[in-house]
Amino acid sequence: MKIMKKIFNYRFVVVLLVFSVACDNDFDELNTNKTAATAIDPAFQMNTATLNSSLQALIFEIGIVQQIISPNSGVLTGANYNQDNRATTDDNWQGYYRNVIKNTRDVMALTEELPDRANLRNMARILQAHAFMVLTDSYGDIPYSEGGLGYTEQINFPVYESQEQIYPMIIQELTEATGALDAAGKIETAEILYNGDIAKWKKFGYSLLLRAGMRLSKANQTLAASTVSAAFQGGVIVTNADNAVMKHDQNYQNPIGGTLNSTEAANFYLAAPFVNYLKSTSDPRLSAIAVRYVGAKSGPEQTIANQSYDPALQVGMPMGVDNPGAVKAAADLGLASFYDFSQADRRRLTKLSAQYFFVTAAQTNLLLAEARERGWITTGTVGQYYNAGVTAHMEQLGTVDPLAAVPAASISNYLAANPFDPAKALEQINTQYWVASFLNGPEAFANFRRSGFPALAPNPYPGREVTFISRLTYPNSEISVNTENVNAAIANMGPDKLDTKVWWDK
Amino acid sequence: MKKYYLLVGMLLFMYQQCWPQHAEVYAAVLKPVQARPQEKDSGPLKAALTEIERSFQVSIAYKDEWIENKFVYFSSSAFKAPEQALDTLLKDTGLYYEKAGDKFYVIHKKILRGSGVPQSSAAATTPAFSLSRMEDFTSPLVMSFTPQRTIELPLAVTVTGTIRDESGGAFPGVNIVVKGTAVGTTTDTNGKYTLTVDDDNATLVFSFVGYASQEVAVGGRTVIDITMTPDIQSLDEVVVTALGIERTSKSLGYSASKVNSDELTINRTPNLMNSLQGKVAGVNISGLGTGPNGTSKIRIRGQSSISGQNNPLIVVNGVPIDNTNFGTNPGNSASDNSVGVRAGGGNTSDGGDGLSSINPDDVESMTILKGATAAALYGSRAKDGVIMITTKSRGQGKGIGVTYNLNYTNDQPLDFTDYQYEYGQGEQGIRPTTPNPTSGQWSFGEKFQPGMRQVLYNGLDVPYEPVHDRIDKFFRNGENMTNTITLSTNGEKGGLNLSMANMESKGIVPNNTFTRNTINLGFTHDLNDKFSFKGNINYSYEYNKNPPNVANQDNSIPTSLYNLANSMPLEVLDENKYNAQGNEYIYSRFMNRTNPYWTMAEQFQNIRRDRIFGNVAIKYNILPWLFVQGRIGQDYWSRDQDYNNFPTGHASRAAAPPGFVNGVYTQEARRFRELNTDFLISATREFGNFGVNATFGGNHMQRRSDLNSVQVTDFVVRDLYTVQNGRAKDPLYSLTERAVNSLYGSAEISFKKFLYLNGTIRNDWFSTLSAANRSIIYPSVSASYIFTESMGTPPSWLTFGKIRAAYAEVGSDTDVPEYSNVLFYGINSNLVAGQPAGGPNGTTLPNPDLRPMRVSETEVGFDLKMFKGRVGLDVALYEKMTTDQIVQAQISDASGFVDTRINSGKSRNQGIEMLLTLVPIESENFTWEFTFNGAYNKTKVMSLLTDVPGERITVGTHVFNGELRQIVGQEMGQIAGFGYRREFLEDGHYSGRIVYGANGIALRTADLITFGSALPNWVGGFNNAFNFKGITLSFLIDFKLGNTMLSGTNFNAVRHGLHKMTLEGREGGMVGDGVNVNGEVNTAVAPVQSFWEVVRSQALIEPVVYNGGYWKLRQITMGYDFTKFLPDDFPIKQVRLNLVANNVLMLKKWVDNIDPETFGYSSDNLVGMESTGLPSTRSIGFNLNVKF
Repeated sequence: MKIMKKIFNYRFVVVLLVFSVACDNDFDELNTNKTAATAIDPAFQMNTATLNSSLQALIFEIGIVQQIISPNSGVLTGANYNQDNRATTDDNWQGYYRNVIKNTRDVMALTEELPDRANLRNMARILQAHAFMVLTDSYGDIPYSEGGLGYTEQINFPVYESQEQIYPMIIQELTEATGALDAAGKIETAEILYNGDIAKWKKFGYSLLLRAGMRLSKANQTLAASTVSAAFQGGVIVTNADNAVMKHDQNYQNPIGGTLNSTEAANFYLAAPFVNYLKSTSDPRLSAIAVRYVGAKSGPEQTIANQSYDPALQVGMPMGVDNPGAVKAAADLGLASFYDFSQADRRRLTKLSAQYFFVTAAQTNLLLAEARERGWITTGTVGQYYNAGVTAHMEQLGTVDPLAAVPAASISNYLAANPFDPAKALEQINTQYWVASFLNGPEAFANFRRSGFPALAPNPYPGREVTFISRLTYPNSEISVNTENVNAAIANMGPDKLDTKVWWDK
Repeated sequence: MKKYYLLVGMLLFMYQQCWPQHAEVYAAVLKPVQARPQEKDSGPLKAALTEIERSFQVSIAYKDEWIENKFVYFSSSAFKAPEQALDTLLKDTGLYYEKAGDKFYVIHKKILRGSGVPQSSAAATTPAFSLSRMEDFTSPLVMSFTPQRTIELPLAVTVTGTIRDESGGAFPGVNIVVKGTAVGTTTDTNGKYTLTVDDDNATLVFSFVGYASQEVAVGGRTVIDITMTPDIQSLDEVVVTALGIERTSKSLGYSASKVNSDELTINRTPNLMNSLQGKVAGVNISGLGTGPNGTSKIRIRGQSSISGQNNPLIVVNGVPIDNTNFGTNPGNSASDNSVGVRAGGGNTSDGGDGLSSINPDDVESMTILKGATAAALYGSRAKDGVIMITTKSRGQGKGIGVTYNLNYTNDQPLDFTDYQYEYGQGEQGIRPTTPNPTSGQWSFGEKFQPGMRQVLYNGLDVPYEPVHDRIDKFFRNGENMTNTITLSTNGEKGGLNLSMANMESKGIVPNNTFTRNTINLGFTHDLNDKFSFKGNINYSYEYNKNPPNVANQDNSIPTSLYNLANSMPLEVLDENKYNAQGNEYIYSRFMNRTNPYWTMAEQFQNIRRDRIFGNVAIKYNILPWLFVQGRIGQDYWSRDQDYNNFPTGHASRAAAPPGFVNGVYTQEARRFRELNTDFLISATREFGNFGVNATFGGNHMQRRSDLNSVQVTDFVVRDLYTVQNGRAKDPLYSLTERAVNSLYGSAEISFKKFLYLNGTIRNDWFSTLSAANRSIIYPSVSASYIFTESMGTPPSWLTFGKIRAAYAEVGSDTDVPEYSNVLFYGINSNLVAGQPAGGPNGTTLPNPDLRPMRVSETEVGFDLKMFKGRVGLDVALYEKMTTDQIVQAQISDASGFVDTRINSGKSRNQGIEMLLTLVPIESENFTWEFTFNGAYNKTKVMSLLTDVPGERITVGTHVFNGELRQIVGQEMGQIAGFGYRREFLEDGHYSGRIVYGANGIALRTADLITFGSALPNWVGGFNNAFNFKGITLSFLIDFKLGNTMLSGTNFNAVRHGLHKMTLEGREGGMVGDGVNVNGEVNTAVAPVQSFWEVVRSQALIEPVVYNGGYWKLRQITMGYDFTKFLPDDFPIKQVRLNLVANNVLMLKKWVDNIDPETFGYSSDNLVGMESTGLPSTRSIGFNLNVKF
């Protein structure tokens, strides 16, 4: 009895404890993050997408088009040896899907129900179309309609669509989004590409449309012609003031500049085909682009004291050399070492704060020249567009760094000495496009494949896996986890190899 | 009455935060309850014994410490005879008495004969348990014991002497018998005896329950003094199980290993767990090669879940403490709850873990609960086992005790490099003859010839000759010194233990030091016969100065040093670390291989941690068989860290904008608090042949952790590393909170002391999961059957035999980070082109529907003691299924995210553990004990997203080439990378011949191939312990076998021309042994440097994949107890000295140039991905223990 009483008294305690432990009312509040936002203004996400649209494409694209090359291996293996290096081929894929399209898709979802943010929504569509274009140009078939919808639509394993299906959709997207931009709507001044300037955005959108149309010049001429025509009528970028540019600074550095100014400073050199072409036409851009540290025997000897912009002194590194090959090539050419080859000047055009050019007046004018040549537009002359394109690029260099400015007299001298020759129109136009797209690897690579100009010789590296690189290989992660979809794409497109041609290149 | 209020009030306080709305219930409970009648004549046991001695004119002998703190209700007037009084008095005290002579009684402690749990080696010299623990043992077992009678015989020789126990104290009640006769006596309260024997050649047998019997020939002596030593084999141990519940080991249906505190204190390592390497079956401990405060990586029964931290739970005095890991894990791409460092700061040092706050001298005992059954009551965080540490809370013996312990070890860096020293610095077979090119990290130069010269990077012209012993020249010997002073008291009401310790460690990197000061206070106090409280507080201050950056390609001293050209004099690098501008003087075209001397001079890092943890428990014995306990425990630490791992002038960094100097400085402050409040109600009763123990309890765990961090890039004033001086500033703040509520109960039913059934059930509620998935209930059952006690008369060789079986489930949310249910957005610290930019945080897609993962484990085992304890065998077999694992599942990048957490992973661990103990020789002067512990474990991935064999995820990438994958249907932790392409024959088989390209360079496989699991299958050790006349000597050989490793050190050694395999082809180029793409014998000559560079240029890792196993002579310990030489009245009561050596000798390894243990990464996502860490060390030193 006594015992029972004691137990009875303690029962309260037990009951109390059981209830107090079992309660979890405050758990939802506890599991709420108090230091992070669940939403931000979509304009800021748009800025992240713009920022991340700059690429570092030195290892593959810029090497494939034989403008900058490294003799060294490891992380630098790529176009120098014509060898697959999936640690690098996935850079565009990851960079665009993870950092650009993830944000543009979110911006589009967030602004869908916000009529006053329609302009931002359409800007996001245009920027996203640019990203998808680079992606499909790089890899061929890619996830398009389902791409980037992991969060908004819970699509974790998007299906791939063929490039043949994708391009019309990109063209439609650009047409609709650009057309819908409305100067009477909200001006998105926080947006960094054009600070919300609708007129400039329209030119950017139509310039991308022009680029998309021209990309199909082999694959679907009908669609190409109509697209180019529509774009031209919409109004495209024809002056450098309208260029689509990511403005970098010391905090948000140019990705190529970041690479060439730190550990890889002494590992990349201007390739001989590029230097030799510029020399052959006495191109004033050579001294704006190139630097040679005369007599350098090592990276540390690449000092300002040794530097020379003299075009006559510039020597490009031959294609197809590995480290011992470069040593030998330098000796054969009478250089002090391979550190003595010409480089893209890391203190001017490839400095840390250099702009990244998405679309330029030079490129657009040159595309218009070809469009006029093909008769897809009917105003102006081919020569006018050609000269405007070359001039625009020469003038563009000085906007990056005053020390890279090309004097007006040099421009006119160049055009006089190398006049447009209608008999070689496509070759001249696209060779100039190649020069004008220097440091925009994906665009230079795409236009080279499309047009076939300039006629670059295959990389002679003895251990090359492929003769010519025509696309980048898919990321390992896709093969690991999105197996079914990527295999379907490979079955449609051809083997997942560097030399498989994409649809518009066939 | 007051005590009721106190108890209830305390418990209410503990829970009111969670349940504030029920104030009326408090009121109800706080109503005065009826007072319990006071019992009369309550008093100390000692007083009662004295009263019996006086009343009945008898003498009673006992050890003081057994009597202290025991209280009885007693009045001698109620009894007619002393036996009757003692019977009553000693009931329920765990003691019994023996009539040892006329009017002389000896009190003994009830000790159970029979089993022992798996016991660590070298335990022969000290008790395997603390005597004070036994006092708490309240379910005495019936003993059979035949008292010796004293028989008077005619005088012949009178032998006298003093018997001491193992700690040097007087030992009353020891039986002394003349061998072969019934003649005998026992020692008195002072441990003295007098015995008359009629024969000079007689042999005396000294015996006491629980102690080894000793036979001593009289040999004409009249004085024979003896020190008794405990007999490990005969003791039935008390094991502290989950929640601090003590049980006899024979009742356990699962495997629990007890670790003697001597194992931690004598031959010690700065992080206490590392000293247990190779000693406990099924426990795989790896000390990382990262410096004196490095992480201790502990895996029990293998890696179970597909996540990076399969760490056991650390419990100190019944309450979990934090064991957050600050290890370095570059390339870790899967789920991992270690604390990473922020990107951009260049920090790849190991910031240590939570265990390093514990001073080994404070540890009284440690129990390792291996299986899910053992840990089931700890629930979610115990899925990988529990390490239960009990710290000292009171003195031993009576009064005030002072102990001083000094430990010193000297750590010699070990050089396992076996590089080529035939061809020196240079590339393409050319030695440097001008300051540039800077080949400083390449040894593909010319063959050394007498008289050759080389020109170094600074223009210095020196002989072209090999520079040997880079490891010895650069590193210093490390040192560890620990001074601990312990003050303890022990009295009738309780006691306390206060220790103060200082540890000073010098790392082998000459500017790396680690200091730890600890104060530990443990106390226990009985307020009265029913109410008691105990507690402990541990404060530590740790200062880790300049932990080196390790295991990375860039900015790491070991990587630069191990790959230095073999003709580069180190003193030149030291003297010419600065160029004219004061920046790093570039000595290698690999600018990220920073000159190690420049690193030491310019780079700094400070990690300071203040930590206080402890708990207070109040216990109330409601009835003799029922108690209730409330406890509150907290672990709080704050940790300040700052580092400039890219100092100004670092060659690999871009120049700063004009007006600034470059560099990056990071400053961080973290605070962490975990609060655990729990209660326990426990009842123990016996009903005839049945015994029942039931326990019910609950726990509330709440954790809060936050971080302030600022990283600045470029500086205004050179060499001033402050946030204010930075150009671009990147601040960061994060806060996480989580809680778990739990209720649990356990019940044990025993039958006739040979059959035990145990069941537990626990319910957890997790704050990190959605309300629908928050709660999980999981059970465990276990059984133990001691067949030797039920079979009547077992064969004489079989001393003890038990079989056991257990099954348990555990649920866990440990791999679910806080706030992983929602997508959060962040804004960049700096404006982009003048505008804000931001986006979703991280690359993991949120999943609001996560459930707790489940572990279910089945275990069977047996435990045999044979030949009077000279042979013991304990074997356990287990199968552990980990299902519903929270997999950080890789998804398509094209979704915009990299991965998402889902409940889908399943893995299976299967293994066997065994402990074999043998005593091949046991004689008066010499004993030899042999112990073997071994464990085999294999963990197989059963499913990831699906269970389709071959499905895979990549969990980590090597800093060079290769990666770690989990692949369905294969062993966990597969190393993958490119291999050599082999000739493919028309019959569809590979010929095995390597295929070379037209340039003579090996071609690689079409895709990555797997090379095997990086997880060891076999882990164990052999220990031999000898005792020759009190001199103890033991040595331990341990092994890990069956694991594959990708060696980054050899990767670099091959590409830089240091590895001996690169000697082939130095003259005239290399023609690889194999075929060309047309199947013809390869004749193409490749430049030797390009040929071997395939590990980098082709990412072809096959040449540097090794068997990662080893056999090591791990420890040697030699000791002697000098106590016997101390005069009785000397102030020092005990002196013990041990000489120790650790990591003594590599007996066998397979990997070239390194110790396979010099591993830098703490995460399981990078296991086997070796990249150069600090060299391992051989430590030699001593441990001196003095008691006053």
